[in-house]
Amino acid sequence: MPPSDTPPLVELRDVTKAYAEGDTVREVLSGVQLSLHRGEFVVLLGRSGSGKSTLLNLISGIDVPTRGEVRVDGRNLGSLSERERTLLRRERVGFIFQAFNLLPTLTVEENVRLPLELNGHGAAESGAKARALLERVGLRERARSFPDRLSGGEQQRVAVARALAHAPPLLLADEPTGNLDEATGRQVLDLLEGLTRQGNACALVVTHEPALVSRADRVLSMEGGRLVEREHARREAR
Amino acid sequence: MRRLLVRSSLRHLGGHPWLTALSLLGIALGVAVVVSIDLASGSALRAFERSTDAVAGRATHQVVGGSSGLDERVYRDLRLRRDAPVSAPVVEGHVQAAVGDRRTLTVLGVDPFAEAPFRDYAKGEAVGDVGALLTEPGTVLLSARAAQSLGITSGGELPVRVEGVEKRLRVAGLLTPSDEDTARAVEALVLTDVSTAQEVLGQVGRLTRVDLRIRDEAEAQRLQAALPTGTELVRASARAGTVEQMTRAFRTNLTALSLLALVVGMFLIYNTMTFSVVQRRGLLGRLRAVGITRGELFALVLGEAAVLGAVGTVAGLLLGVLLARGLVGLVTQTFNDLYFVVSVRALALEPFTLAKGLVLGLGATLVAALVPAWEAARSAPVTTMRRSTLEDVSRSRAPRLAVLGLVVLAAGTGMLTWPTQALLPAYGGLFSVLLGSALLVPWVTERLSSVAALPLGSTFGLLGRMAARSVRTSLSRTAVALAALMVAVATTVGVGLMVSSFRGTVVSWLDTSLQADVFISPPSLVARRGGATLVPGLEERLRSTPGVAASSTLRVASARVDGVPTDLLAIDFTRTQARPYRFKEGNPETVWRELESSPDALLVSEPFSFHRRVRVGDTVRLTTDRGPHDFRVVGVYFDYGSDVGTMLMPRTTYERWFDDRGVSGVALYAAPGQDVDALVASVRERAGDSQALLVRANRSLRQASLEVFDRTFTITQVLRLLAIGVAFVGVLSALMSLQLERARELAVLRATGLTPGQLWGLVSLQTGLLGLLAGLFSVPLGMALAYVLVHVINQRSFGWTLRLAVSPETLVQAVLLALVASALAGLYPAWKMARANPALALREE
Ligand SMILES: Nc1ncnc2c1ncn2[C@@H]1O[C@H](COP(=O)(O)OP(=O)(O)OP(=O)(O)O)[C@@H](O)[C@H]1O
Ligand SMILES: [Mg+2]
Repeated sequence: MPPSDTPPLVELRDVTKAYAEGDTVREVLSGVQLSLHRGEFVVLLGRSGSGKSTLLNLISGIDVPTRGEVRVDGRNLGSLSERERTLLRRERVGFIFQAFNLLPTLTVEENVRLPLELNGHGAAESGAKARALLERVGLRERARSFPDRLSGGEQQRVAVARALAHAPPLLLADEPTGNLDEATGRQVLDLLEGLTRQGNACALVVTHEPALVSRADRVLSMEGGRLVEREHARREAR
Repeated sequence: MRRLLVRSSLRHLGGHPWLTALSLLGIALGVAVVVSIDLASGSALRAFERSTDAVAGRATHQVVGGSSGLDERVYRDLRLRRDAPVSAPVVEGHVQAAVGDRRTLTVLGVDPFAEAPFRDYAKGEAVGDVGALLTEPGTVLLSARAAQSLGITSGGELPVRVEGVEKRLRVAGLLTPSDEDTARAVEALVLTDVSTAQEVLGQVGRLTRVDLRIRDEAEAQRLQAALPTGTELVRASARAGTVEQMTRAFRTNLTALSLLALVVGMFLIYNTMTFSVVQRRGLLGRLRAVGITRGELFALVLGEAAVLGAVGTVAGLLLGVLLARGLVGLVTQTFNDLYFVVSVRALALEPFTLAKGLVLGLGATLVAALVPAWEAARSAPVTTMRRSTLEDVSRSRAPRLAVLGLVVLAAGTGMLTWPTQALLPAYGGLFSVLLGSALLVPWVTERLSSVAALPLGSTFGLLGRMAARSVRTSLSRTAVALAALMVAVATTVGVGLMVSSFRGTVVSWLDTSLQADVFISPPSLVARRGGATLVPGLEERLRSTPGVAASSTLRVASARVDGVPTDLLAIDFTRTQARPYRFKEGNPETVWRELESSPDALLVSEPFSFHRRVRVGDTVRLTTDRGPHDFRVVGVYFDYGSDVGTMLMPRTTYERWFDDRGVSGVALYAAPGQDVDALVASVRERAGDSQALLVRANRSLRQASLEVFDRTFTITQVLRLLAIGVAFVGVLSALMSLQLERARELAVLRATGLTPGQLWGLVSLQTGLLGLLAGLFSVPLGMALAYVLVHVINQRSFGWTLRLAVSPETLVQAVLLALVASALAGLYPAWKMARANPALALREE
């Protein structure tokens, strides 16, 4: 089904984000427009410091734009209360952070179970799901370890499992394969892509890896605070 | 709901066992202090009530007389009336057992035939020869328990001391009450008939009171009208209330001090909770990013506090009960020194007190955790940590907090200067002063540590500069620790200064009031009151000892003012020029002339004037042996001997209104050139051994008075020690958490080449700097606290004017306390970090 027939899952209208540091104000995003639909696997490129993570934060409602409007699932984040935004994120968004952001006080398995339990799943069910996911990222036997005992790549895979656990319709991934070797990276991407397509979800993946571009439905690029769509990279949906 | 969140919290607490344990200790100590004080003074009061209830029995009213009881004819006349009420005569007094543990015993002399309607145990549920009580003089009944611990059997002898005279009683039988309550009540009781009691207590022909059972108000009024002058009909229930009132100020003050310990405990909890929030900024931000709402974070932190509070409070209750066992002896001692005779043999575990402790402990923890919980809830969802911006925020907040602190301080000052006698605003003001000062801390710290960077840098090089800078760059954590420290240490300073000021005032008061060279009195059971009576005839013999230039006598009597028994001092000024009193109100030039020339003038002490709101020119109504009479107050004198208040009149006035002719003490002034020690020796000789007397030279009486004073303050000192303990724990936990929190930073330093020794130096410098700052901050705050305690709280509870004296030792002690504790606090983190593998520490987030 052509994406344009359904209302977009994510919609950014004229979004601008500026950071103030002391007296100087730097605009990181200026007038960004974007629509993402279910079923899309989208790659976001851009140089370091170009504002990719900032964009992901805005979409997830973690941060608020200086100007402009962010809509997720048809709801304008700006008009929601802090609590409603949080609940929307809890239910609808899976976020793989650039800095992993695992919770040091929870074990690997518990980190993965957290989004499930937050969304009301029972202990037994979430435990089984979490272990299955860990199996798929190759960390089944580390389930009881605490995150600080894991290598960077292992932590990254836990973060991926955590983001996917409650099968959110929107997946935001900030360099999910940055710390992985080629083979493991491919495995993780297969998982990401597979779950996205299987669940008719939408994934926005920040990466520096050219290999990923070939898998994507759309390729976006942050340039000078604006989003540029690379039409030629577009692939037919299966 | 969020089992995983709860688990995360528990792991966080468990991951910092030292800090968790220290904050638990803080809560526990705070609760323990409050609970133990409450239990101890409650037990003493209860014991007293039980024993008064036991001797008061089922009487509804009592007929009482002037300072020396009433004539036994009053009872006889009462019995002879046509409409005679149910009545029983009572002679009551205290003696000291001259065997065993020398416990104080209450002698109760009754008429066995009249007793039945009043007291059950007197009917004769006794083993042994009850009949002997009536037929044989000098026989008594004693409780089986007391007899056993004194080693006396039925038929044996009980030697007792009464006001320095030893007497022998024969135990005709033992009281063995069937239930525990009665057994406790009669434990300190010596039951006998009226005439034996009169004989033993030296009150021949007099009764302490007549117990009555009156059906209605009309009968009471009829009876009152028929009573002879100098006697009065009072309700039996009025008596227990008097005791309650008498000790109220003392108990309030203790409670206030114990609450102060709890406030310090609260600051510790606040410190711990803030730390655990600050430490977890990253974690909390991530939780927010994953989708935890603000409300959930708020609840999470409060939940943690509740768990800590519950565990700490329960530990505190247990500790409190243990502590109370120790304190009850001290409280009883103080009550005995100051107010009345009571012996407490068991701690009463009031469920209400324990419940109160539970609520206080939990409540204080939750209140202290509110701000940190709110801070936690405010965490923005973050995906990458930027500590420096957070610290920027807290640095920019410092001046605003300081302004708020000034506002709170101003409000506190307002509450303290508000012209009222109520204590609540005073405590509110005290708390505001603490809080306001705590709010000033971040800003002052920021200023001071940037100033300290220079000298530290030039002395210790880069490490010195780092030490100073880290205080500043992690202001959000250092300031909290410092504020907690300051409050804890300042409290010990405040209480310490209060006690030393009090003592200083008492010392200079003793200097003015003890002017004679030799003082003679019979031993008395209530140390500070001394109402015992000299054997008749002895007074003149003592006053005429060769080498005596002048002399005066003192009678300590009890007179009713508006129905409340109050100490009345009658002093014979006729044979001396000395008038050793200083006046708060009234002109010393004219007061004496007025007092000694007018038969209805008297003086009142400062606490009396305070409690009864009586000033010069007002009148005081006393029940005299000539009936009620109004006396004019011509002066208010300083007196630190009784917090309840006393009245003073010349002996001539006293004898005019009262029949009592006893003398409680004699003061002798040596002739010029007369050696005082020789005078003491010849007085002892002249006294003979008709009565064991305390003959003391000026110096030794002064000493003895100060001993009593110090004894009554032992409990305050114990409280202060406990506060120091809490403060110490505070310093330790605050500084330790600060260092542990920097584990990662220290690991980076280790990784870049700092030796364990250098690391230790750095940590010690930092904690030392903080300890020093806290010690210095606590000095002005402690002095302010002392000022409030001395001039507002003490004044409003006791009515005493005290002179605030700042003793440098107390201040030095405070700074040392902070320094020593901070040195200790640095040890563990430095040791831990020096040993830790930097690689591991670096991984920990
Ligand atoms: N809180 C902040 N305050 C000030 N500047 C910020 C803040 N957050 C981000 N920036 C700036 O905004 C710009 C974009 O940051 P962002 O993290 O979005 O970059 P990025 O594209 O994700 O870079 P990278 O590929 O290195 O992760 C950077 O220059 C960064 O310094
Ligand atoms: Mg980024």
